[in-house]
Amino acid sequence: MAQKPAARKTNPSGGVLPQVLWKKTGGSYLLTNDAGHYAWLKEKDFAAITAGRLAETGPLFAELASKGFIRDRLDFNDLAAKWKKKNAYLNYGPGLHILVLTLRCNHKCLYCQSAAAGLGAAYTDMSLATARKSVDFALNSPAMGITLEFQGGEPLLNWKALKGTVEYARKKAKTRGKDLKLALVSNFSLMDAEKAGFLLANEISICTSLDGPKDLHNKNRIFTGGNSHGETLKWLKYFQKKHAAQSPDYRVFKPGALLTVSKYSLSRHREIIDEYARAGLEDIFIRPLAPIGYARNLWDTIGYEAKDFAVFYLKSLDYILKLNRQGVVIREKTAAMMLDKIINFQDPGYLDARCPCGAAIGQIAYNYNGDLYTCDEGRMVGWAGDDLFKIGNVFRDAYKKVMSNGVTRVCVVSSNLEAQPACARCAYKPYCGVCPVYNYATQGSLWGNMPSNDRCGLFKGIFETLFALLKKPGNAAILKRWAGK
Amino acid sequence: MKKQEHEKNIVKVGLKDYDLDTVRYAAYAVSDAAYVFITPAGKGAVAVEFTPKHQPVTGHQSPVTGHRSPVTSHRSQAGNLARRFREELKDEKIRAAVFDANRDLREFMILKALSYDTAGAPPEQEDSGLTPEQEKELDALIAQVESEIKRESAGSGTKDPLGITRTWEEKYGAKTGRKKN
Repeated sequence: MAQKPAARKTNPSGGVLPQVLWKKTGGSYLLTNDAGHYAWLKEKDFAAITAGRLAETGPLFAELASKGFIRDRLDFNDLAAKWKKKNAYLNYGPGLHILVLTLRCNHKCLYCQSAAAGLGAAYTDMSLATARKSVDFALNSPAMGITLEFQGGEPLLNWKALKGTVEYARKKAKTRGKDLKLALVSNFSLMDAEKAGFLLANEISICTSLDGPKDLHNKNRIFTGGNSHGETLKWLKYFQKKHAAQSPDYRVFKPGALLTVSKYSLSRHREIIDEYARAGLEDIFIRPLAPIGYARNLWDTIGYEAKDFAVFYLKSLDYILKLNRQGVVIREKTAAMMLDKIINFQDPGYLDARCPCGAAIGQIAYNYNGDLYTCDEGRMVGWAGDDLFKIGNVFRDAYKKVMSNGVTRVCVVSSNLEAQPACARCAYKPYCGVCPVYNYATQGSLWGNMPSNDRCGLFKGIFETLFALLKKPGNAAILKRWAGK
Repeated sequence: MKKQEHEKNIVKVGLKDYDLDTVRYAAYAVSDAAYVFITPAGKGAVAVEFTPKHQPVTGHQSPVTGHRSPVTSHRSQAGNLARRFREELKDEKIRAAVFDANRDLREFMILKALSYDTAGAPPEQEDSGLTPEQEKELDALIAQVESEIKRESAGSGTKDPLGITRTWEEKYGAKTGRKKN
């Protein structure tokens, strides 16, 4: 007599899912959880799992169980370890300290035309006393790793303060036992051999702006004193050569560059990426323009809608992947940082996409006069006349007072994704973050309205693109290398 | 006609099927495209009214999927909003059930994560609140007291004639490991 076949054992959780988030895309469901795991399900499998009909014996059940998507198979040790790793920043204080050494600039970039002061505005130079006080303040952070980033205006216009601050900071960090990193953001137009030598000898990492080919770069970044594009490339090559040669006495970092996408860039993704590849840059950080501070005044001329940027970004990623397949080493930085979270369960230190955001608790911006802001964007809002994001002054306020004041707290609360109705339900929540400054500047509220928020639209577009690319094995292999770097 | 279109922008929801929070969250999800007003509509029901924020759009193309949305009229825009809202309602009902069922598990996991493996962290240095000079003085004082105690206990037995301060081992030697019979 033939034996009756055994009934297929089904999901014993009775159809109750563990805490998961999901998004329906076409005929598939993307599932994510707090630990950062993700899985793709076909519509019928999603229906089966929610109805408790998913067969326990299949490979899909095993995959879902191993990732924490089956309620009575949760490996709490694994999930907790991943959550902890992904949210490691919760245990540190602010690690990034942006010193605005001057508001003066010799460029008149379209997207920051009025935010920078003219060359004669020496009153916007940070004094060495203020810079030292800022260093003391920064070293009060409980973070073991402290990064001092020198910005402007053009920080090389206040060379004396920069040099003095570097020497002071190195000495103070040593006595305090801190791991100090120094970084400079410069347009290179005032760079010379003496300055370059000092920066190299003091292990200062260097970053500049490169907006693409000569005509585009110089259109965005107007420099009446010469050819901005030429100066940028000349010094990029100089620091690249120094990096390749290294030095027996100090480490030489690879120089980096930032791309700010204006309306003029939108139709030229290939040329821009080719320019980066030609310049020997292995990273391109594609950053959208934000209508914050004075960039807002020129929005009609240089701004664009989120969907326009999404098209540009998607085309750029496609082209970069194509170049990768041809053997060119280049990756997109936003994607690489998001992939680090998605693939490696790691915090890449991207302060713009954290929960809560990095405002005050991850970074502090020090204005030339010692005023403290939650971040550089908050400072820009302040420079436009609204000091909502000012959190103190290095001469008047103690670290503890700054960290516990009302503005710091409200930024933490409003950027907590659990308290954002749309974010708390979004499948991209484990990897994302909101920006109270952006929300305030564009929607008039620190919380904003995410369904109609352009930044939210941009991030959703980026995640949608990345998850779609990860589905294809050829792309996934390349993207995994980006995250592993 | 206008009135007719306006009426089509109202969706009635029974609170037996969906609680008010579910209705609110579903309404919030479509707030990119419409202003949403929720008002009581008799016993156990609410009326959800949509006022589109924008004029009907024509053929917007998704940057990611490349799909082009169809040309919309006022009427179809209203229909789309109502359809989106109903889908969100169904989705939100599942989300609410998932959240309620997992609240404790989730809190447990996050608490576990927050207290997870702190072994690698360097021990915090205690701050005595003393200046270096005061620390030196204190160390010298402790050393002096310790040496006095040592001297006293090492001297004649007059201070402890019965050997009360001596340990069992000092008095009788270490254990031999013999078993009791």
